[in-house]
Amino acid sequence: MHLPGYYEFSARVKVVSGHRVLEKIPAELRKLGASKPFIVTDNGVSSAGLLEIVTDSIRSGVTIGAVADDIPQDSDVCIINDLAGIFRERGCDSLIALGGGSVIDTAKGINIVISENTYDLMKFSGAGRLKRALKPLIAVPTTAGTGSETTMVAVIADHERQRKMLFVSYFLVPDVAVLDSRMTLSLPPAMTAATAMDALCHAVEAYTCLAKNPMSDICALEAIELISRNLLHVVNNPGDKDGRLALANAATLAGMAFSNSMVGMVHALGHSVGSVCGVPHGMAMSVLLPYGLEYNMHKVSHFIAELLFPLAGSEIFARTPKHLRAERVVTIIRKLNQDLHDATGGRHARFFGEVLDRHGAHMVEKEKIPDIARTALGDGALFYNPEDLDYDDMLMVMEGAWEGVPLKRNLIKSG
Amino acid sequence: MVSYREVKPGGKPFKRAYVAVMLWFVGRAVQAAARVDRAVAREFDDLPDSFTFCLGVEPRGPFMVVGKSKKGRVKYLGWNPAGKEIDLAMRIQNMEAAILLFTFQENNALSACRNRITVDGDIPAACAMMRVIDIVEVYLLPKMIARLAIKRYPSWSFRRKYLGRIRIYFRSVLGY
Amino acid sequence: MFLPNEYEFSCFVKINSGTRALEHLPHELDALNARKPLIVAGKDVSKEGHVRKLMSAFRDSGMTIGVCDDISGPFDAPLIEAITNLYRNKDHDSIVAVGSGSIVDVAKVLNVSVSYGGRTLRELAGKNGIPNPLDPFIFVPTAGGDGYETSRYAEIEDMKFSSDFLMPDLVVIDPRMVTSRDTRIIVATAMTALAHAVEAYTSPAKNHITDIYAHAAIKYVAEYLIPVVRHPADRDGSCALANAACMAGCVVSDMTMGMAHILGETIGAMFGITPGICMGIVLPYTVAHRALHFGARTADLILPLAGFDDCAKISPSLSDAVAVTMMIDLQHELNGQTHGGIPRTLEEADVPPYMLQDIAERCITDDLPGYTYSDYLTVVKQAWEGSPAMNG
Ligand SMILES: [Fe+2]
Repeated sequence: MHLPGYYEFSARVKVVSGHRVLEKIPAELRKLGASKPFIVTDNGVSSAGLLEIVTDSIRSGVTIGAVADDIPQDSDVCIINDLAGIFRERGCDSLIALGGGSVIDTAKGINIVISENTYDLMKFSGAGRLKRALKPLIAVPTTAGTGSETTMVAVIADHERQRKMLFVSYFLVPDVAVLDSRMTLSLPPAMTAATAMDALCHAVEAYTCLAKNPMSDICALEAIELISRNLLHVVNNPGDKDGRLALANAATLAGMAFSNSMVGMVHALGHSVGSVCGVPHGMAMSVLLPYGLEYNMHKVSHFIAELLFPLAGSEIFARTPKHLRAERVVTIIRKLNQDLHDATGGRHARFFGEVLDRHGAHMVEKEKIPDIARTALGDGALFYNPEDLDYDDMLMVMEGAWEGVPLKRNLIKSG
Repeated sequence: MVSYREVKPGGKPFKRAYVAVMLWFVGRAVQAAARVDRAVAREFDDLPDSFTFCLGVEPRGPFMVVGKSKKGRVKYLGWNPAGKEIDLAMRIQNMEAAILLFTFQENNALSACRNRITVDGDIPAACAMMRVIDIVEVYLLPKMIARLAIKRYPSWSFRRKYLGRIRIYFRSVLGY
Repeated sequence: MFLPNEYEFSCFVKINSGTRALEHLPHELDALNARKPLIVAGKDVSKEGHVRKLMSAFRDSGMTIGVCDDISGPFDAPLIEAITNLYRNKDHDSIVAVGSGSIVDVAKVLNVSVSYGGRTLRELAGKNGIPNPLDPFIFVPTAGGDGYETSRYAEIEDMKFSSDFLMPDLVVIDPRMVTSRDTRIIVATAMTALAHAVEAYTSPAKNHITDIYAHAAIKYVAEYLIPVVRHPADRDGSCALANAACMAGCVVSDMTMGMAHILGETIGAMFGITPGICMGIVLPYTVAHRALHFGARTADLILPLAGFDDCAKISPSLSDAVAVTMMIDLQHELNGQTHGGIPRTLEEADVPPYMLQDIAERCITDDLPGYTYSDYLTVVKQAWEGSPAMNG
């Protein structure tokens, strides 16, 4: 066990998991002293019929105060202030966030505005500015990937002033995360693959980056095992309810791992590929994960080697000689990407060169790589990566990930 | 039946003084490095003019402030952030954390991992300042210690490393 | 792999563990919106200088703190009332408990008492009697403990409290506080944690999240107990064991409390032996018995007990037996390291053989459903002789 000289761990969110647990939401709200929730969600979720499932499941137990089903991907302060207005007008007393990361962050933003009774959300940005418990917030994730139902942070954009602000506080951890298999059952195979690979990245990076600790390690191991045993099966059999629930649990466990131990270069580059080229987060993660492992290999091969156990099972672990285990992990992840590529009829990308938009054009143009590299140099996840990356290193990794060829190990600088 | 007392714990004057001296030196060295080293100069070029950076110990200091003037010149602005508009603050959470950091028992990255440093402000700027501090450490510290303080010890030319080191030491002490 | 069908679980406890953890306290209190903490400590703990170490962590913080550091028994309702009055009169807004065992019960019940002005403690006792969050409560463990410190339970006089809100918001594990020279205390605390964690990890009521805490506790004990018994000054190891106690406490509940716990408490009370020591003795035998007759998930224990490499080498058909053997080996190793100070069997613990029926009978009065008189008797007999029930 790797026991660091100092570490912190908390996983404060209450997890309620099962095939029919949406029905427990009214009781959970009551325990939190609330009875009139404001449901926030996005278009995709409501048009997939998930909003209806939720409202039907809870209607008999609570009064639904209001519903906002059009949170955009790039939600910001203005939208949050508008929604807070609706919350007040309808006399709501709690929030249900139904969706992925941006919906949950928006709900957290509304919660700050309401609970602090302010119009200037940005006053509370930064670490530890919130000084009191907020209104009850229940998160119902619909993607089995981001893990934001477990985190104590919210990222909220201010489009007017062109900046993204970070809010960090214990009080931002949702009170309850409800993992119901019905919420992810209709997720298309390619999305299932991408979001699960995001969760896998959270677990792998938490396990191999600098802030790892024994608790987050165990969360990560369990998440990795759940994903490697279920992902391919679920992609091939989308109706597998147990598999869906396992993936949802994996995403939450991976969220607990990375919200304590943070992520590294895969996310630093992934965020930039997202912001420069608009590549969906999960897809960027699938492509970049093997490269991140290769790049950090000379620093943390002993940690990467241990991941063979949850990824491949005890038999393969025992059969693989110690010094080959870490490389085998990279091979297995590449193979997983290949299998997912085949299972989704080519929709799951293996390298950036084959990421296409709706019109069949390259999403990541080769000329954008320098831009991506520069943006990545400003990503906070770099703090936690075991090895340093300068501009040239970023270029090298991105070029490998664009072509789909493994990194040349002799070009990776160590000092 | 139950004894009770109210205590206002004192300070740690010696540790405080040590950290203050280190911060003073780091501040002046950053100013010097911005004039001597191309990579540091470039990092500062990318930051907005009149950018102000503060590094210090919570909650009562000491601090050091470095800023860019309107003309883009990097300057050590003293130990007191009060009254200055700070764009980026790196706060060391307590005096013991500062001691661990400035006696090289924990490096910047580890300190951040252990929630002993928090960053308040723009993250890209924070990344840039971390790189600046890493470079300054390579200049100021002997290789053996610098290796503990940063992730990857760079391979610099003799000229950059030793000449640069002399110039930065000289400028830091004299303060120009 | 194990897939629980439906579950719910929460653990509010945050832990800060390791070098200079105490110095993070002012900042953590601030993040919990607490300005004026009241430190609660027993006489014994403050005599050892632990309270002084804690206070020096507040230097340079600008905070004013209240200190009640000579609390001694009886730990009863009048004591709680007296501290409650102090807490209110001096405008405190948070509690920092230093120590282990009953002083933590005092702190927890104090937290109930200060948060519910109008109602008596007796009204609030009982299952889930506390519906709302309490004031910020921080626990700084010292060596020893009963395994309940981080749990959702507290007990004062005959009143039993039970609520998630009783769990500490933060546990601060600092090597300066948790090292001990007394190997018996070290072993008793660690074995209590191991027993609770093993029972949670093999219980049918387990889930993914309880697994995290139980897995961690087992791993910490399996890896660090022997080294710490060998070198009690080992700071990392002592922290690891304190973590084990903390994590095991987080998953202690009515659902997961099993035979080893009941037997340990019962035998401990009957013969004046530290319950943790008894739990250590009986644990392998209860595990073997439950694997054989109750289909407990004993095989799962191999990974946390043995780590990746050894776990991968063990054939699945043998893993039940290996898990039991490993726990018996641990007990033997402890016995060797302490030159016989830690008994391996109930016989070595001086439990007379004619009392075994009595023990089994008394265990039954504790209402843990599912286990009969003959279950307990079989296990105590095996634990007395030191021969576990094994398949084939
Ligand atoms: Fe991610």
